[in-house]
Amino acid sequence: MSDTDLDKLPGGFKGMSEDIGSDQTTFKGVNWGKAMMWIFLLSDTFVFSCFLIAYMKVRASVVEPWPYPSEVFALEMMGVPVPLLLIAIMTFVLITSSGTMALAVKYGYEKNRKMCGWFVLLTAIGGLTFVGMQAFEWSKLIFHDGVRPWANPFGAEQFGAFFFMITGFHGTHVSIGVIFLFIFARKVFRGDFDTGKRGYFTTMKSDYVAIEILGLYWHFVDLVWVFIFAFFYLW
Amino acid sequence: MAEAKKEETTTHKIGIYLWIWGLLFVLSFFSYMVDWYNFQGLLRWSLILFFMFLKAGLIMAFFMHLFWERYALVNVLLWPMTAIACFVGLMVAEGKYTVFSRLFYFFVGGA
Amino acid sequence: MSDELNINKKRNNQIKTKSSATSGRGETDIDYVRPAELPEQDLYHGHSFITKWIFCQDAKVIGVQYTLTAVFTGVVGLILSWMMRMQLGFPELFPFLTAETYYQMVTMHGMIMVVYLLTALFLGGFGNYLIPLMVGARDMVFPYVNMISFWMFFVAVVVLMASFFVPGGPTGSGWTLYPPQAILEGTPGSGYGILLMLISLSLFVIGFTMGGLNYVITILQARTRGMSLMRMPLTIWGIFTATVLALLAFPALLVSSIMMTLDKVLETSFFMPTIIKAGEALSYDGGSPILFQHLFWFFGHPEVYIVALPAFGIVSDLISVHSRKNIFGYRMMVWAIVGIGALSFFVWAHHMYVSGMSPWFGFFFATTTLIIAVPTALKVYNWILTLWRGNIRINTVMLFCLGFIVTFVNGGITGIFLGNVAVDVPLSDTYFVIAHFHMVMGIAPLMVIFGAIYHWFPLVTGRLLDEKLGKWHFWITFLGAYSIYFPMHYLGFIGVPRRYFEMYDSPYMTSAVGMNEFISVAAFIVGAAQFIFFYNLVKSLRLGKPAGKNPWKANSLEWLTPDVPPTHGNWGEKLPVVHRWAYDYGVPGAKEDYITQTTPPSEVKDAEVEKT
Repeated sequence: MSDTDLDKLPGGFKGMSEDIGSDQTTFKGVNWGKAMMWIFLLSDTFVFSCFLIAYMKVRASVVEPWPYPSEVFALEMMGVPVPLLLIAIMTFVLITSSGTMALAVKYGYEKNRKMCGWFVLLTAIGGLTFVGMQAFEWSKLIFHDGVRPWANPFGAEQFGAFFFMITGFHGTHVSIGVIFLFIFARKVFRGDFDTGKRGYFTTMKSDYVAIEILGLYWHFVDLVWVFIFAFFYLW
Repeated sequence: MAEAKKEETTTHKIGIYLWIWGLLFVLSFFSYMVDWYNFQGLLRWSLILFFMFLKAGLIMAFFMHLFWERYALVNVLLWPMTAIACFVGLMVAEGKYTVFSRLFYFFVGGA
Repeated sequence: MSDELNINKKRNNQIKTKSSATSGRGETDIDYVRPAELPEQDLYHGHSFITKWIFCQDAKVIGVQYTLTAVFTGVVGLILSWMMRMQLGFPELFPFLTAETYYQMVTMHGMIMVVYLLTALFLGGFGNYLIPLMVGARDMVFPYVNMISFWMFFVAVVVLMASFFVPGGPTGSGWTLYPPQAILEGTPGSGYGILLMLISLSLFVIGFTMGGLNYVITILQARTRGMSLMRMPLTIWGIFTATVLALLAFPALLVSSIMMTLDKVLETSFFMPTIIKAGEALSYDGGSPILFQHLFWFFGHPEVYIVALPAFGIVSDLISVHSRKNIFGYRMMVWAIVGIGALSFFVWAHHMYVSGMSPWFGFFFATTTLIIAVPTALKVYNWILTLWRGNIRINTVMLFCLGFIVTFVNGGITGIFLGNVAVDVPLSDTYFVIAHFHMVMGIAPLMVIFGAIYHWFPLVTGRLLDEKLGKWHFWITFLGAYSIYFPMHYLGFIGVPRRYFEMYDSPYMTSAVGMNEFISVAAFIVGAAQFIFFYNLVKSLRLGKPAGKNPWKANSLEWLTPDVPPTHGNWGEKLPVVHRWAYDYGVPGAKEDYITQTTPPSEVKDAEVEKT
């Protein structure tokens, strides 16, 4: 369905009931891959929700004191402990990469190969920086503060367990995203999306919509970080 | 209306993206300030949640283009969250009950 | 002129004004269907044996692969149940059946049957085979991902089976894998067994997610022209809703598997409370075992409906076809399926009334549980009203459908007992519960699976299954299953606890022994009867009566392919165009007693068809 047809359809709830009542497609104008990514992200939302719910339930029911994250994650700056400094920078980096990704998607829409490629590459570098900083944070906690998944010097032992599990799971998502971002940056620069080159594994034609799909994933990773930031570091 | 939207989605977008980008930085800064000024109690919780949902909403609506998607997709994505909300609510109650029974039986000494 | 024509005209005009197309269509073009929105699907055609039959991207082959793998695990589960019944009916007859092996068998039987047989068979098997055919697509939307999905499932099954051969054997913690005992020493298989189980489940979830995304997107985004959601056969509605449930419920299983793996390997204390063993405190401290139960049942209860909803959908279609009558209350059926699916996320803790959770939860979960009984009962009424005054063909398929209705009602009613907290407390952990869930999610879905295989075997292979053997298979299975599970209700009422390997010197030793022997003998016979079915499958594959096209005179699209059995791409040159729902059977005024979904209105002007 082309864009001009889409504009003729009614919007809002009226449009919704018409879309659902219609034949062929329920999400009008939504590419198969994009629809799949959305539903996958919905499923992934449930994964992260279950992690965070488990964290909430356990934190609410331990009788030992829960470590105060503001102090645990403080960083010494010129002799003064600054609370959550590293986390603030990590948040900054991730939001920046999200912004560059949004621009990459925009240029992908416009089939602007050069700009799209550079922004995807920039996003990948931002993601890599984030993973690097997370590695630094983990090593500081493990080697400097002595936090382990099974014990920590600050209080309830689940603190370390949940921290490593949830940030680790998020970090895995980021790392997978970074790998794909590099692959797709190469594909964009090579012009695969302009020529419609067939994928090596799937044998399906490449299209700029892939950048939008990757963008959805990347923004989702950022979205999850918003929740982790609020619940793990600030709460 | 549709025409205006259309224009927005293809040509005027870069402005919107930069706006949202900036807004996200500002909101993140605010939520960082919640910790910096060491607000406690209900004020801390409500501010954290407020900024969190605002940021999440902005990312979903504009970066993930949900604002421009048709309602069919938006509704399919948002309604399942009620199950999550129910799960969260019940686990809050369960957590309170668990800590109550632990304190009651292990520390107070039980009935 | 009949009403049908006028209504079609009116609708046509509406469509015209909507699409504001002005190509030279006449006012009376009642066969108009909106043009295609999407270009033809690009398909990969395999060339070698490996790409055609092993790493195949054709959903139909993947469906058969899923089915065969699932049936294989099902046979393993069946053999395990034989051994368990051997021990319960005739204790100490076999020296190798110790308490440890018994618990391992219970665990593996439960997990295999629920996850690796029923879920995989309904969604992976029937889903893959039927979805593209029934919605009029050439294949699943992501054939490559679909192929990976099957091989993930295959690896998950291999890992699960491997746990039989590792030191310590498979896990024996019961199929719910409750911590702390699941990973503590003393429980059989608490070393490698439980780890392999958790890894296998995680692989299953990942593999299923890949498949599930395919099913959902194919149904939502790749239907053929004219196929609106409200014209889809109920089979597709059942599979669709179940897949959505699975995509949203399996995350909870994945999360609990990961957390328990960490508890086991890294000795974290997510689920592990402070434990003192032989006077010494273990390294665990302060975890929440009840959290695992919540996560597990947040997955576990939707899982019940993941199995039940496809069964509901399939049985609706089978009943309609074989009683030559449209399904009673199609829209109501659709909403009931969707409603049950949505509600199933709000009832999970009715499995946990005696677990020590917050006592206030009983109110909430008993209420939601009883509410979910409403749409379920509604479906049962609709099945019965579909049969009412229908032109019923008593063939094997119909027998299995009738068997399903009876067992399902039986299991559903005991479910009402167990949903009420006050009634559940004395009954929980007795054989009443065993009887309940085997009736409702063991026998009832199996009846549908058998019925569906008898129904669709001609489509897959081009040959009919043997009716005579089929009837033997049905009667032995049905009567035998009742002989197994009906007495168990009584055992539950007198208080015989489940999960006991032997009754030893308890009063049950004398009062339940005869009944236990009877149940065991019935179980052996029912199990053996399944080999009649397997024999029938193998025999009919070679020697069965050729089915020809559309042997049941059904309406839905899967029977209308140009080639039978359908080839890769399903539809030959042109995709089908759908003009109506799948249930126009026995329509007054029509020449034949069925009007296929592709029959245009102009061909059946005089028939009083439903307005769909």
